[in-house]
Amino acid sequence: MTFYLFDRSFYIASDVLLAYITVILSGAAIFYLITKADKWPTIKKYVTTTHHRKIGVLYLLSATLFFIRAGIEALIIRVQLAVPENDWWVFQGDKFNEAFTTHGTIMIFFVAMPLLIGLMNVAVPLQIGARDMAFPYMNAVSFWLFLAGAILVNMSFFMTASPNAGWTAYAPLSISTYTPEAGNDYYVFGLQVSGIGTILAAINMIVTIVRHRAPGMKLTRMPLFPWSTLITSFLILIAFPVLTIALYILMFDRMFGTQFFTGEAGSPIYWQHLFWIFGHPEVYIIILPAFGIFSDIISTFSKKRVFGYTSMVIAITIIGLLGFMVWVHHMFTVGLGPLVNTVFAITTMLIAVPTGIKIFNWLFTMRKGLIQLTTPMLFSLGFIPTFVVGGVTGVMLSVAAADMQYHDSYFVVAHFHYTMIGGTVLGAFAGIYYWFPKMFGIKLKETLGKWHFWLFVIGFHITFFPMHLAGLNGMPRRVYTYLPKDDVFIYNFVSTIGAFLMGLGTLAFIWNIYQSFKNPDYTGNDPWDGRTLEWAVPSPAPEHPFQPMPLVKTIDPLWEAKRNRGGKLPEAESARSAPIDVTSWQPIGLAGMMMVFSLAFIYHQTWLQIIAGIGVLSFFVIRNLTDEHVRVAREEENE
Amino acid sequence: MNTFKTERFRDKQLGFVMYLIGEAIMFATLFATYFIYTPTAINPIPKEVFEARTVIISSVFLLTSSATIHYGEKAVEKGNHKGIWIGLLTTFLLSVGFIGMEAHEFQTYYKEGFTLTQNLFLSSFYILVGLHASHVLFGMGWMLVLAYQKNRIPFMNYAQKQNIFSYYWHFVDVVWIFIITLVYGPYLFY
Repeated sequence: MTFYLFDRSFYIASDVLLAYITVILSGAAIFYLITKADKWPTIKKYVTTTHHRKIGVLYLLSATLFFIRAGIEALIIRVQLAVPENDWWVFQGDKFNEAFTTHGTIMIFFVAMPLLIGLMNVAVPLQIGARDMAFPYMNAVSFWLFLAGAILVNMSFFMTASPNAGWTAYAPLSISTYTPEAGNDYYVFGLQVSGIGTILAAINMIVTIVRHRAPGMKLTRMPLFPWSTLITSFLILIAFPVLTIALYILMFDRMFGTQFFTGEAGSPIYWQHLFWIFGHPEVYIIILPAFGIFSDIISTFSKKRVFGYTSMVIAITIIGLLGFMVWVHHMFTVGLGPLVNTVFAITTMLIAVPTGIKIFNWLFTMRKGLIQLTTPMLFSLGFIPTFVVGGVTGVMLSVAAADMQYHDSYFVVAHFHYTMIGGTVLGAFAGIYYWFPKMFGIKLKETLGKWHFWLFVIGFHITFFPMHLAGLNGMPRRVYTYLPKDDVFIYNFVSTIGAFLMGLGTLAFIWNIYQSFKNPDYTGNDPWDGRTLEWAVPSPAPEHPFQPMPLVKTIDPLWEAKRNRGGKLPEAESARSAPIDVTSWQPIGLAGMMMVFSLAFIYHQTWLQIIAGIGVLSFFVIRNLTDEHVRVAREEENE
Repeated sequence: MNTFKTERFRDKQLGFVMYLIGEAIMFATLFATYFIYTPTAINPIPKEVFEARTVIISSVFLLTSSATIHYGEKAVEKGNHKGIWIGLLTTFLLSVGFIGMEAHEFQTYYKEGFTLTQNLFLSSFYILVGLHASHVLFGMGWMLVLAYQKNRIPFMNYAQKQNIFSYYWHFVDVVWIFIITLVYGPYLFY
């Protein structure tokens, strides 16, 4: 769209223009509503907080916003593909590349990751009897760095420079020779900044789980969500640094003229290796926590201890280990040779074994249980068959010879959506419904929750099941159109209908949140008749829970207390010192400075790079000089 | 002795060790990059570039600094304030020497035309050794902050901060040992 101002003509793509209008209008509306409701003090509290529950809520809130953004993109993709040779709006050619790139990138890094890290923040400290995360200040830094990275990737669209090389950013396409626009620079810096936040979050989780468990809570008595969080955190700690370096090298290729991934001597395959050495553990990073959530929920609503606890823990660990040995199954068609392909095919198939064990354990947990079909339980029940389908197609794909046919087809698209939505997204929804009372002291509405579940899950299968068939009929992924004679119209058309049903389901979810706050159902500490420690503290979880500190003697301490002790947990004689909570503007300031620093690189402004770089470093000094441990030590000295 | 090792501080120690594991994986990835691209078909080869003298001198500086910071650690445990100052100051001076040699080395290479984009051996050399050098620089800034805080915060806090710093410094040193043996070694000493 071209328009004229002061005798000059300006061009702006109509989709970007619409996005600007939407964001400005909704921003103004939100500003007005906040001011009217006098909620600025609450917002200030959340911005400066270092408390695990509030940070968890922030993660979940931003994940929901990005879910809507990337979800709209999914709908756009589906509309464009609804009919053959579609010429709808602007979403052909490179615009389509941008749409699927940012859809994938945002959904993986800024939806799946924060949904799970958010739930970890809310639930894990309470489940293990910790009084907060081990490093509250660093927890806030993690969140704001994540958000800074997410905003960087999201703002690229408004600068008409979206990343367009796919969420995997394969070289040489992602090299400046082929995509000289700023788009993939946004990708590099956005993921880099949020990746640092994620690594810090993982360190925080590890230390919290290793050192802050309630007295008596041995590792063998820990609920399965903290267990999966622990394993996941180790996966993050090992996999994300590889991404950090991959992006670091890509940055040199894009900005400083090196040729690691291109040119005569460079190798685009090396990027693929680096990316998938990170990328395959990454998919376990976003599925294992969901497994933990389902384990706890299924056990709670079957009124039974989880079946095969030990085998569950071992299965998670083995999946985590094998997750590092399968990355080449993304590269079967590269031509690394039959031996390499065979080895990786076998390790990939092996993963089905521990996963199968987990599936059977969930089923046996429910067997002869007193099953309550609450919304979180419905999501867990929806997960099991859906994930099995995704797992079976995964085993099909792991057959290297057959993969030559499936590779880069819609069959693959169907497969990973069955695992990522069927596992991670359903898990996150289940967790949100389950722990919502711990976050806000109110329950989400059950009726609307059921609408949400059925619309979403039915819509999901209508969307993604036909994609298997489209893929088997030869439809490649990442194409913006097809011909009538390609014989894939009907699958695509049905998919598009399903996508809109999923959209309706998501609207039901958002409506549910609105309704639940408008007519709140205040619940007590223990709305689900739970088994683990988080249900022993008030809802919403207070800043200083576990006074007095409970003594844990079994896997489900609260359940045991309710059965045998009239609901009173045994008290520990002594507890370790709690982490020091603070309120601080520094984390958001640091993240903002990182964003400026990144933008200075993206737009090659050397002077700004230097200023912002000094700015970032100065936060280390400021942090050191305002350290709360020093303050506390002084207070103790004066006493 | 060891009074500064509170529960909260042990959290910090474990957390920092975890952080260093992450860093170790980053450096490992860069070492892998170096192995893959060195030597390359395009000249120069490492033998033409590396110069034993600068590598040896800078190694002496950095490896000695591990000993001096260890001396500083012992001084903290004994509460020997003079020893802390000596440890910190000598470590800082040695790091200045190291960075000076490193800057000199890179400058010489550049003058000889061995630039970042010349070939992939040099690219992977610079991004690995450069990242290590920036870690040393960061550590130098850290030492300045430590020196500033030494008499301004309770001794317990200072002791904790210096302890974490020495973890970092030893880590940076270990990475350098890997750089000497794996990056320079095969081309200098055979």
